[in-house]
Amino acid sequence: MTTGPSPRYDAKADLQDTYLSFRFELTKHLRRRRLLIVAALAVLVPLLFYAFSVETAATFAAVSLSFLSVLIVASAALFAGDAICGEFEKKTALLSFPTPQRRTSIFAGKYMAAVLATLIVVAIYYAIMMLQVLHLYGAGEVPSGLAQSFASAAVYSTSAVSVVFLLSSVLQRSISSTIVGFLTLLMVLPVLSTILTSLEVEPWFIVTYAADLISDSVVANGFSFGPGRFGVYQPDFGPGIAVMLTYTLAGFLGAVCIGSRKSME
Amino acid sequence: MQYAIETENLTKTFRNGFTALDGVSLSIPKGHVVGYLGPNGAGKTTTIKILTTLIRPTSGTARISGIDVMTSPREALHKVGALIEVPGMYEYLTPREMLTYFGRVYRMDKAGLEHRIKEILELVKLSDWDDKKIGSFSTGMQRRLVIAKSILHGPEIVVLDEPVLGLDPKGIRDVRELIRQFQREGMTVFLSSHLLAEVSEVCDSVIFLDRGKVVSTDRIENIGNQLQSRTINVRFLRPLAQEEATRLMSVPLVEDVELIDNGSARLRFDGRPETSHSILRELLLRDFPVVYYTPEDVGLEDYYVSVMSDDRR
Repeated sequence: MTTGPSPRYDAKADLQDTYLSFRFELTKHLRRRRLLIVAALAVLVPLLFYAFSVETAATFAAVSLSFLSVLIVASAALFAGDAICGEFEKKTALLSFPTPQRRTSIFAGKYMAAVLATLIVVAIYYAIMMLQVLHLYGAGEVPSGLAQSFASAAVYSTSAVSVVFLLSSVLQRSISSTIVGFLTLLMVLPVLSTILTSLEVEPWFIVTYAADLISDSVVANGFSFGPGRFGVYQPDFGPGIAVMLTYTLAGFLGAVCIGSRKSME
Repeated sequence: MQYAIETENLTKTFRNGFTALDGVSLSIPKGHVVGYLGPNGAGKTTTIKILTTLIRPTSGTARISGIDVMTSPREALHKVGALIEVPGMYEYLTPREMLTYFGRVYRMDKAGLEHRIKEILELVKLSDWDDKKIGSFSTGMQRRLVIAKSILHGPEIVVLDEPVLGLDPKGIRDVRELIRQFQREGMTVFLSSHLLAEVSEVCDSVIFLDRGKVVSTDRIENIGNQLQSRTINVRFLRPLAQEEATRLMSVPLVEDVELIDNGSARLRFDGRPETSHSILRELLLRDFPVVYYTPEDVGLEDYYVSVMSDDRR
């Protein structure tokens, strides 16, 4: 009935297990309707910006995109908050761990599902915003920095998921990692940026500062929700992306290492 | 001889200093249904968690079908299906969705998996619920579903940790019937429980564990032979007169008499069958109107109490 066991360090088997975990996690996101709810927000929120009457398409896009980082953080918190600690807290690990797959594969699949779910939300948001720009300003007015903005949003999505994923591996309860993740990305790090900026230190190493590229790519020194913008500093695209990728990698690896060593005692 | 489950000097000391297992060595032959019995905190679940790679032992080895679970967990876990404690459920999924995922983890092919899911959901009496959300299931249904998950890939060994915990009598009966079915199919079943009745109903042999040590291992029938009743229940045709009750107390070899009512009594003796025979002969010779004479049943419970350490009693 089964094709037989694989050796412990079998890269092909590990990749296959990661893919299975990814699909399973995505199914769970769909069944729990979280993805549906956040996707609905991604459709509805840009529509609210019809209320803002701005002169140029670029400004309209920048205003609209200023909310996107909030949505990215919300998605990351929802999809990654319980990814690791939820397995232990809800004891579903007792079902999934005593199976012939490595925990790292399970967690990697969960991470990928959280990233994809967040990217879907981002893509929907951009699609709606683009339609609005086309409707309000015409095809000729599409802002030139939109591709760069989308790339920044995509990379920020991975780093936001990584930060929450790491918290999920460290904290015991899903609700804690979800809330702490949300507050870290929406309050703590932006406040830290504000403090550093006020001290005339550019907070280039803070991921939420780098995330300003999402709107700054469209309009220089654009808009953003929450604390952290004084307009003194502006992230550069290359270093900003590098910072976000560093958070992505460090958060993911740290989470997988910690999660895999968590005891089921 | 290759055993289905084998441990050697398995020891587990937790970070808080508590030693849950203290040199546990087990050898469970293939195809047997073995009960792993002990009070709460004896180390049963710790053993099972080590066997299923959920935790690592402090020292010692654990093997599944000869495969070391620490060095080759993937191979070892392919041969095992496990129900451990009361696992959390994916409440928003259906049994079909959950089992499909685990079937793919065991590398079952699509057609075979679909057939197998249908088959095992019928076995655990959940075939009418295959597309319903698991969150709407009763405790018994959820437990049956986890058992279905544990045998999905046709494992050689099934490890069941307190499988009837929290179940109603019907649920308990259903689980017992499943275990008997596994036995008929030639699986090795390792059944951890603190419930004596459950183990004596379905197991071939029992391992008694207390405070992290194996205190006794034997086949159920051998345990039965070791247990000799020291009480005989006697019922008489009519209530005994006062004079007869007094005479009953003076019957040779009877150590003590407890009159339940005037129609029956419990006689204590040394437990030897020869003594029991002599007492019966004496009763009849002395014209006691005996209609029922039988040694009182001694269950596994008495044995359990006898093997556990003194301060557990």
